[in-house]
This record gives sequence, structure tokens and C-alpha cells, in this order.
Amino acid sequence: MRITYRMMTSKYSTNLNSISSDLDKLNTQVATGRKYARTSEDVSSAVKGYQIRRNLSKLEGYQDNIRHADDFLTNSESALGQIESSLAEATDKILQGMNGTQSEGDRKIIASELRTIQSQLLETLNTSTTGMYLFGGSNNEKPFAVVGGKLQFNGRNLDDLNEDTAVANELVASLKQDSLYVDIGLGVSFDQTTGEVDRNTVFNYSTAGINFVGNGTNSTVISGETVSNNLYDLLGRIATEFEKTDGDYSFDKVDKLHGLFSENSLKTYQTTTEIGAKTQYLEFMTSRYETQNFNLQERQTTVEGVDAAYTYIAFQSQKVAYQAALQMGQSVVQQSVFDYMS
Amino acid sequence: MASTFLAYNVASRAMEASQASINIVGNNISNVNTEGYTRQRVDIVSVTTSGTVQKYATPVISTGIGAKAVRTTQLRDPFIDARYRTQNAETNRYATMVKGLRNLEDVFDEASTEALQGELSSFINDLQSLSQTPTSSDIAQVARSAAEKVTQTINMYAIQLEEVRTEQTENLEVVVNSEFNTYVKNIASLNKQIQNEEIYGNTPNELYDQRNLLIDKLSGVANIEVSMAPADVITENLSIPHYSIKIKNQSGGEDIMLVDNGRYSEMSLDASDPLDVQLKIVDTTGVERSDVNSNVLDGSLRGYINLINGKGSFADTTVGESDSRGIYYYARKMDIFANQFAKELNAINSNITGATTELPLFTDASGTSTTNITAKNLQVSTAWLKNPSYINTTKNPVIDPPPTADYTATPASSDNILRMIEKMSDKIDFKDSLGNTILTGTFNEYMTSAVSEVATDVELHSNFFKTATNVFQTISDARDSVAGVSLNEEGVNLSAYQKVYNAAMRYFNVLDENLDNIINRMGV
Repeated sequence: MRITYRMMTSKYSTNLNSISSDLDKLNTQVATGRKYARTSEDVSSAVKGYQIRRNLSKLEGYQDNIRHADDFLTNSESALGQIESSLAEATDKILQGMNGTQSEGDRKIIASELRTIQSQLLETLNTSTTGMYLFGGSNNEKPFAVVGGKLQFNGRNLDDLNEDTAVANELVASLKQDSLYVDIGLGVSFDQTTGEVDRNTVFNYSTAGINFVGNGTNSTVISGETVSNNLYDLLGRIATEFEKTDGDYSFDKVDKLHGLFSENSLKTYQTTTEIGAKTQYLEFMTSRYETQNFNLQERQTTVEGVDAAYTYIAFQSQKVAYQAALQMGQSVVQQSVFDYMS
Repeated sequence: MASTFLAYNVASRAMEASQASINIVGNNISNVNTEGYTRQRVDIVSVTTSGTVQKYATPVISTGIGAKAVRTTQLRDPFIDARYRTQNAETNRYATMVKGLRNLEDVFDEASTEALQGELSSFINDLQSLSQTPTSSDIAQVARSAAEKVTQTINMYAIQLEEVRTEQTENLEVVVNSEFNTYVKNIASLNKQIQNEEIYGNTPNELYDQRNLLIDKLSGVANIEVSMAPADVITENLSIPHYSIKIKNQSGGEDIMLVDNGRYSEMSLDASDPLDVQLKIVDTTGVERSDVNSNVLDGSLRGYINLINGKGSFADTTVGESDSRGIYYYARKMDIFANQFAKELNAINSNITGATTELPLFTDASGTSTTNITAKNLQVSTAWLKNPSYINTTKNPVIDPPPTADYTATPASSDNILRMIEKMSDKIDFKDSLGNTILTGTFNEYMTSAVSEVATDVELHSNFFKTATNVFQTISDARDSVAGVSLNEEGVNLSAYQKVYNAAMRYFNVLDENLDNIINRMGV
């Protein structure tokens, strides 16, 4: 084959071009630390990279939801703590009042103290954070209100919520279950027929106040009288009893009411325990997601990033090849028989 | 008997031939880097006397009477030319495709910077935030802003696709007018000049080179076929080649004549439908051909047609539509995406207790209608823009029946938001306008598939282009090996012809000496 001048020059420039484009790519890799700057440079890695980014972003959403639920639970816990101490204080006062040495006037003072505790309790029950009521279920209206001297929860008289019929049972159950919830990656699903959120697939983080305040009435404690089960009204009833004159005052009734009050207060402590369990679950999920997040980031680095040392060595050796090619060009292009003709 | 001075003529012709050869060496060296130059050679023939009747004459020794430089010819292999041109068309098609596809990839690519996939993920996360506090209108506003970013990014994709389309159409226009039309016109005019020269028996090498160069360039534009037959018969003894260039008709009908000796065709671009541009040619007989798109199978023209009209899987190949994944394909894909996105989320927002009309979150440019949503006009509905809380966070926004007359609570459930999040992360069937499912996956996966499709095409075509370039380089080398100038060879020739020239001069001196002896010394 004849080797012509143009063949040599064009081949040489093609080679130089390909070497320098390789050099440029390595240079970009070293400078950016990325394996590819465009998807087309490494399609399969890029698609994997997109998947990882999606999962990372999903995790970010879940983690944010967990933080939100955790904050809410912490707030609920401290509000419940306040309620507990109010209840303990009330118990103290009741016991104090039940003491036989107390005069009518003393009892009245205690009664007014109990009324103060009552209003504190109401206030705490209506605690709100970022526009949502801690114990209001999913309503954004003040959950607890006293209408006509009786405590209402979400517009319903608690006294009326007796679980004596199937309909009432259902209503109370739905009020008790009413809760705020977030998606923390448990695979949210919806009921096939009703289309409602399946509560087992989301994280319920709020507790409806009705769960620990109590509902319905009790007609067995004091014969001939229906007494409210809810702590607020019950406390009021006890205060009313204390306010009675010596002649009307009945230690026996107070004692029985106190028994009911102590019994109903237990639910508050149970609720605190439940919240503790939920918080613990969130902690578990948090650490799980942190691990997942870490693993994903590590995978992202392997998929999208370059091995710095390897790339730098490759870059250097490519640089050597480039310089060699340049030097060779000097000798390849110039030489011909004309250089030796006299 | 030969004349005394015959030998002088031999010497003079020898010098003349060497001189011509040395001149050609000079010409070759000068044009070593000239584009399209074909190396030339002086054809030297040996000359003899003949035709004298010697049968009854006193026999004399018949000697040749030297060499004569008759003409200069080009060293060129027409077979390699044909291969060169076919390969050139292929290489140019891939080159055009790679450039255009890279532009398309730039629209969708998210390797270095996040675009729609990132925005979709942020939208989901903002919906998650909204699910935490469904009644707060400021978070609802954040979610709406995220939705706006999604729609704006989709709009941007549509606009960028249009820009790429405009750019590619402009490029195609340039190829049609500044390349194709100019080349055929020049080739036709060269054909005429060359025939004129050939009639007088000249070999217009430089004109041949010019014509070949133009044909080479034309071969990069389309799949052309060059023919030199049948020759034009000027007289009984004189036939000269008749150059014609055509595009073969694939369906077997009449070929499209681009150049027929001095006549040439004219191509035009009909971009009245920007989604489906048509090439038209008025051929050498003045007939307008509208079957150009289906017959141009190669060259940069094909590349541009594939890029602009390429309908990918939406193409109806039975009517000759391009099934390359071009701008049309991706634009259509984005329209389907925009439609589906609006449809799914609007359905969730509208499907609430007590709602009688559609409550769209996403609409077309009117802000209210959802019937003609495209990627370009998708926007957040006017109603949502006015009121961030227009997004229905729950399916049951009113407690029914209310527990007491004066108790009006707004349920703060986030069930609908969770439905939206689920829709955004669930696999759904993406359907084209005919109702065929084109992909089943999440919105994010749909975009990943679009990016990976265009990226795979870029990768594939880059590889095709590399291979084609290598093959082209080999053919080009083979051609250069015949037609190119080798400096070494020219150097050797130069020395050789110089020696011959010197030898001829020496021969002349010997003759002169002989004559001097005959005249001045013989018989003295």
C-alpha cells in the first residue's frame, strides 16, 4: 500500500483527537468526582443512580414525617404529664377534703381549688401545636368545651356517649380511633370497598382525648344518680359534693366518687405508656432509616462517583500517552526523502 | 535513411518529457494538502517511425525515435469512489443523529443537575409535609409551589423540545439550500464545462477534481448513485461520458434524477407542519417529487428527518413514517405524561363527598379546562392558584351529619394527600391517545425511562458513528493510497527525472560531438 502524506496527517490528527477527548473525559472525572456527566456516558449506572436518588428522597420524606410525629408525641407526652399532675393534685385535695376534721368552710375552699384544677384540666386538654389540637383527633376545632355545665368532645356530650347500643358502640369506637397519621413507609394502602386509609399501614400519632378523659355515665356508684364517667365532670361532681352544707354533705358519696375518679384516672397513665411505646417505635424506625440512608448514600457514591486514585492514575497515564503522541507527531510528519536531498 | 538531425529531436523530446514529469512532480507537491486533489502523472509513450515502404529499399536499421509526453492523467479508482460515497452518507447520517440526539439528551438529562425527576420527588415530599398539617394553608402553599415547579419543568421540557426542533429544522434548511442545491447546481455546470473540454480532446483534470469533490460532498447529504453511462455520442468516433446523479426509488418507481449532465434538480423544505417536515424535489425533468422523505435513506438529510419526524413507537411504518425516536416521539411522550399527571391528581382532588363538579388541580392554559392538556400548556388551575387550600386533603371535608348544630369543625385528615402520594409512587398505566398502554410504572420511572431511552440512543448512535467513521477512514485511506500524493514518491520521481533530464543533455552533447567530428574532422 502506498502511504501518502495525507493518510499520515489525517490519521495522526484523528489519533490526537481521540486521545485528547479521552484525556478530557478523565480530566472531568477527576475534577468533578463523578463517573459520568451525561446519562449517555453510562446509561445503566445513571438509571441505577436515578433509582437511588428516588429512594433517598422517599426516605427523606419518611424521616421528616417521623420527626414531625415524634415532636407531636413529645408534646402529647408533656401535656399528659401536666394532666397527670393535675389529677394527682386533685386526688390530694379530695383526700384532704375527705378528712373528717375539715369544716364546711374548708371543704368549700377545697371545692374551689378543685374547680381551678378542673379549668386547668380543660385548658391542657385543649393544648394545640402548629394549629392542631393534641387530643382532638383529626378535627381542627377546639375538641373540649363545656356547654351547659357538661363536657363536650368534638361537639358531643361525653355523657351521651354510653356504649349501650351497637350504634353508640360504633360511634364511640370511631371517636376513639380518630387520629392524625402520617406515612412512614409502611406501605400505605386503602380499603378496597370504602376507599378509606387502612390505619394499619400508616402511623397514628395522636390520641383522641376521649380515650383517657372517659365517656358515658355510671349509675351504679351512687344509687339513684347517674354520674359522668369523664374526669372533668366527675371532678365537678366531687366539688359540688364538697360545697354542700354539713347536713347535705355525704362522706360516703365522696368516697365512692373518689373511687370512680381514681379508677378513671388510670386510663391517663395507660395513654402515657402507649405514647412511650409509640415513641420507642419511632426511634426504631429512625435508626432503621438512618442505616438505609447511609447504605443508599454509599451505593450512590459507588454508582455515580469515581474511584479517585484509579481515575487519577488513569488520567496521568493518558497524559503520558498524549505527550508521547505529540512528540511522535513531530518526527512522523516532517520526515520525507526531501529532508535528505541535496 | 533517417535524417542526421533526427537524433536531436530524440534528445529534445526526452528533455521535454522529463521536464513535463518534473513539472507534474512540482504540481503534485504543491497540491499535497489541496482538498480533493488527485495525483497526476504524465503519460509518456515511446515514438517510432512507421508507414514507410521498405520492402524493396535498402534495408536500414529501424530505431525508435524517443519518447513523447502525450497527456497528464489522474490516478483514481472509481470503485473506491463509490464505496467512499456510500460510507460517507452513512457516517454523515450518524454524525447528524448524534449531534441532534445530544441536544435532546440535554433537555431530559438529570445526571449532573436535577430536573423533572427531582421536582417530582420534592413534590412528593412537600405533599408529605402537607399530610402532617393538612389544615395549614402555608404548607399548602409550599405544596402548590412544588406543583408549580413540576408543571413549569414540564412546560420547559416542551419548550426546549420545540427549540431543538426549530434548530434542527433550520439546520436542515441550510443543508437543503446551502449544500444540496448548491452542489447539484455546481456539478451540473461543471458537467457542461467538462464536456466542452472533452470534445476538444482535453483532459481537464482540475475540473474533474472539483466535480469529484462536489459529488463527495453531495454524498454526505443523501444516498446518491452516480452513473457515467450511456455516453454521449458526439460523432461516430467521439463519445464522451455523460454524468448523472440520482436517488434510487425504493418502491421501484421512477428514480429521482438530481443531476442529468447540465440539468439539475432543486430541493425545497416544506415545514408547514413543523411536526412532520417534508422534503420536495423538482427533478431534472421539471416534475415535482413528493416521495423524497421515503427515498432519502441516508446522509445528513435522513439524519435530520429521523430527528425531526421520528415517531418511535408511535410511527406507522406502513405509510413510511420514521420509527427513530426523534423530537416528535419525545414531545408526544411528554404530552402523555402531562395528561396522565393531571388526570390522576385531578381525579383524587375531585373525588370527595359532596362534590358535584370536577375540582381540577391541573389544567391547560385556560386555568379551568382539562380537555386539551399538553406538556406545553399544563399549569396549576386558577382555582388552586387563588386558594392554596383548594387541594382537598380529605375525602370527607364536612362532618355529616354534624353532631350539634353550632359545632362546625373542619376535618383535618390527610387521607387524600396520602392518596396523592400513593398515586405518585404507584405504578400506573400510561396510555397514548388510542388507549394503548405504552408503559407501566411510576411518574418518576416514566421520566427515567425517557432519559434512558434518549441516552441509550445517544450511546448507540455514538458507537455507530465511531464504527462508521473507522470504516470511512479505512476507505478514505484506501482512496488516498491511490489518489493521494506521497512526498517520498515525488521526491524519488524528482531525482529520477532530473537524472533522465541530465542524461538527455549528455546524449545531446554526444550527438553534438559526433556532428562536430563529422563536419570538422572527418576526411580532413
